[in-house]
Amino acid sequence: MASFIEPIQLKQSLGDDGILFVRNETILDTMVKTSLLVASMIIVAALLPIQSSFSSPRDLDLIIYPDGSTHISTEIDIDPFLTDYELNLFGSTIDNLVVVGDNEFLLDTSIMDNSVLIQTFGSSVITIDYDIHDLVSKQGRLWTFSLDSPSTFTLLLPKNSAIVGMINLPINMEIINDQNQLTLSPGKTEIDYLFSNTISNSLSDTKIETNYFPYAIISGVLLIILIGTVIIIRIKQKNHKPVEHNQITKKSITLDLETIFKLKSDLREDDKELVKFIFNNGGEALESELRKKFLQPRTTMWRAVKRLEREGVIEIEKKDLQNLVKLRKSMESEE
Amino acid sequence: MKKLAVFAIIVLIFGTVSPSLVDSAYAQNDPSILLRIAVQADKQIVNQLDGVYGDQIPNNLQILYDKGHGAVYSLDESLPNDIEKAKQDFLLAMNSFMQISRTISQSSEKVVAVTVSDKDSRTLSNELDRLVKYVKSLETISKKYNVDTESDFIKIYDLIQELRKQANDVNKVNVGIKKIKIILDSIKNDIRESALEQRSDFIKRFFDRSLNQIDEQLAKAQDNGVDQSQIDTGHELILEIRELLTKNQINDAKVIFVELKGLMENIGYPIRIT
Repeated sequence: MASFIEPIQLKQSLGDDGILFVRNETILDTMVKTSLLVASMIIVAALLPIQSSFSSPRDLDLIIYPDGSTHISTEIDIDPFLTDYELNLFGSTIDNLVVVGDNEFLLDTSIMDNSVLIQTFGSSVITIDYDIHDLVSKQGRLWTFSLDSPSTFTLLLPKNSAIVGMINLPINMEIINDQNQLTLSPGKTEIDYLFSNTISNSLSDTKIETNYFPYAIISGVLLIILIGTVIIIRIKQKNHKPVEHNQITKKSITLDLETIFKLKSDLREDDKELVKFIFNNGGEALESELRKKFLQPRTTMWRAVKRLEREGVIEIEKKDLQNLVKLRKSMESEE
Repeated sequence: MKKLAVFAIIVLIFGTVSPSLVDSAYAQNDPSILLRIAVQADKQIVNQLDGVYGDQIPNNLQILYDKGHGAVYSLDESLPNDIEKAKQDFLLAMNSFMQISRTISQSSEKVVAVTVSDKDSRTLSNELDRLVKYVKSLETISKKYNVDTESDFIKIYDLIQELRKQANDVNKVNVGIKKIKIILDSIKNDIRESALEQRSDFIKRFFDRSLNQIDEQLAKAQDNGVDQSQIDTGHELILEIRELLTKNQINDAKVIFVELKGLMENIGYPIRIT
């Protein structure tokens, strides 16, 4: 503190009306401590996602069946201090509702017209699955899907369906098992489609040119973080004392399927299938490929992949804005 | 240290701003999808017009089609440089095609509008597909809680297979589905009973953590001169909740907790996640 403020007698000056002025160019540094600023920014940054995420769907996936019924799968962050949570459903004709909370607890629900009351107390994330029959109507051969969505969502259209009209812009489109999957923005969506045996493969014919600008921005941010990490590691290494390695012995094992399953004997059967597929796919696969292969909704697959990551079986890397799931080349086991 | 702090600030600013950048970048990462959808729709509309009207396309539809087709052509021209124009072209094309297909479907057949909420219009095989999905999710949960329901699930899968063979007999399938749903309801109850103990433990632990936190908040509030009667009420409610928990009356405890939560909000110390 003393180094920032110079003694008054050295830099004092008297104004015309006899007021004593103190010249202090480092007043900002004196008043606002940098460390305090950093700490407050960290708190703000940490609170932002919490504030904006409660009661908003983290994921919303819709699958339209050929008969127009729709399966909805959504995951919502909620305030665990709420004793119950009322969720607006997208209609009133609901079937096969399953609501699961933290630790895959089956939660109690009661449906009231267009909403469902869920006993959530203590749960911070809930997963909701149900079938609904109100979102698609049919006139002649023409099917119309309408939804006013509170968040971005994916929509898997039935096989052999062709879009013939829509009122808004899609964010993305993928082909999954010969079915179109659109990613759409929040707000009103209306899509007309019909079934046709003559759907051309024009989807794959049209040339695809990618705009690399967003990648450049993301790469820039990543680069800054990377440089920062390197600096921090170097600083740490300078002050680093050798750590005793006696407590933990690390076993580095080149992994094959047998070894993985031996080391992680409590893996779930469906998770083992995932591991097998990744292994046979050269040790890596995109999360979207896994979804296609196992026909799982985005949320279910995301949870499975996260489970395997927690188990230390796989690692997740970002590749072209997608999750690349890789089998770990070695596994550390504590003895 | 100062340099490190400045760097941390930069990273934090980027960290806060970057999600919005990524969001808008993602929305435009592959504008060619607009062209793909529009071209496919264009082809379908041509097929529809040919199939219904042959060479005698009504004038209004021809005008609409020309407008839509022109927009697809313009969309192709706009990409990849003029994204904004491409978006406008896409919406114009899809809107024109939408009007055409709606006009065709209204006029070409004796059409009755149907919402799939009418049970009769649903396809039984689709109904069974959805049921299988539902059964599987319950099966996963019941395995997690080691509920002895294996035989029930075998029975359900057998029934579904049988129903698939009888897909033409609507009544039989509907009766079969009802039967399956009754079994599933009883499985749900079994799961709930089996998970009840674990769920209760989970809730009790959660209560315990929260009440300790509220206790500390009340102490702070007292130090800061909040009305003593409010503080006393808070402590009484905490005691009441703890007592109910020892008696395993979780639902009653929840009701009192809501009251406590309201009180904490009133005195300016709302309960938050820590």
